[in-house]
Amino acid sequence: MTAEQFFFYAFAAMTVASAAMVITVRNPVYAVLSLVLTFVASAGLWLLLEAEFLAIALVLVYVGAVMVLFLFVVMMLDINLARLKEGFIRYLPLGVAVAVAMALMMALVVGPEHFGLERVPAPERHGPEYSNTEALGRVLYTVYVYPFEIASVILTVAIVAAIALTLRRRPHTKYQNPDEQIAVRREDRVRLVSMKPERRE
Amino acid sequence: MLEHYLPVVIFLVVGLGVGVVMISLGFVMGRRRPDAEKLSPYECGFEAFEDSRMKFDVRYYLVAILFIIFDLEIAFLFPWAVVLEDIGLFGFLAMVLFLGILVIGFIYEWKKGALEWE
Repeated sequence: MTAEQFFFYAFAAMTVASAAMVITVRNPVYAVLSLVLTFVASAGLWLLLEAEFLAIALVLVYVGAVMVLFLFVVMMLDINLARLKEGFIRYLPLGVAVAVAMALMMALVVGPEHFGLERVPAPERHGPEYSNTEALGRVLYTVYVYPFEIASVILTVAIVAAIALTLRRRPHTKYQNPDEQIAVRREDRVRLVSMKPERRE
Repeated sequence: MLEHYLPVVIFLVVGLGVGVVMISLGFVMGRRRPDAEKLSPYECGFEAFEDSRMKFDVRYYLVAILFIIFDLEIAFLFPWAVVLEDIGLFGFLAMVLFLGILVIGFIYEWKKGALEWE
């Protein structure tokens, strides 16, 4: 077994094990953390395919940002496990139907006949000078410039949508305005009153 | 290419080793005499006020999603910076347009006050 095979099996085993943990652990926060481990292990697999940039992007974007969002969402929902389990029997038929439909679709689209080394041959190894980032950059900003610009439009739409959905004004919250605090002058706060000296009786 | 990653692997192994050794040493050698009071949750010396599974404010979500969007934008900048000399003016202008569109979103969120924390 070569070193590369060793690392492949190590990362693959880690991916499968942590992915299984995502759906089996009871605490949703642990499930999210297992998903983080799944992403890290998949990044290792991509690295073995010499997809350097994608592996780093996976860690940077998914582990660094998307999973933080997942954690927020998990914490934002009121996770009361007893309440979650309440409707189990009632939702069981619908849930089973959805699960079966999804399993069927996945079997049709990504069944075993689509994989295998004769269908998808292993990518050829490049020399030590090969840079996946350069190869990607050369086509992304020239050949695929149109999808690239569309990506920016989608991101802008996401900004607008997130703000429209979640931004609420809270008129009754008390908060400090640092601008005003810094700009305050002595005259605004201190008033000197001249008065006659008083004598104590 | 993969041979460049040997230091990363060594780093991973050492980091994993340090973490496992420290936790297992504490686990094996530490003294453990739990009782009901020691294991009960506390909050700065008080009884816990409420359950830890409380709802977070939706504003955290807004901050997180805005962070993701600009994180993605940064991810697009890396390969662009690496190949800028090869793709010439066209690639440069493509990125200018990309950033320009995102700046519109940025101005929108700034003016809307989404970056304010009241």
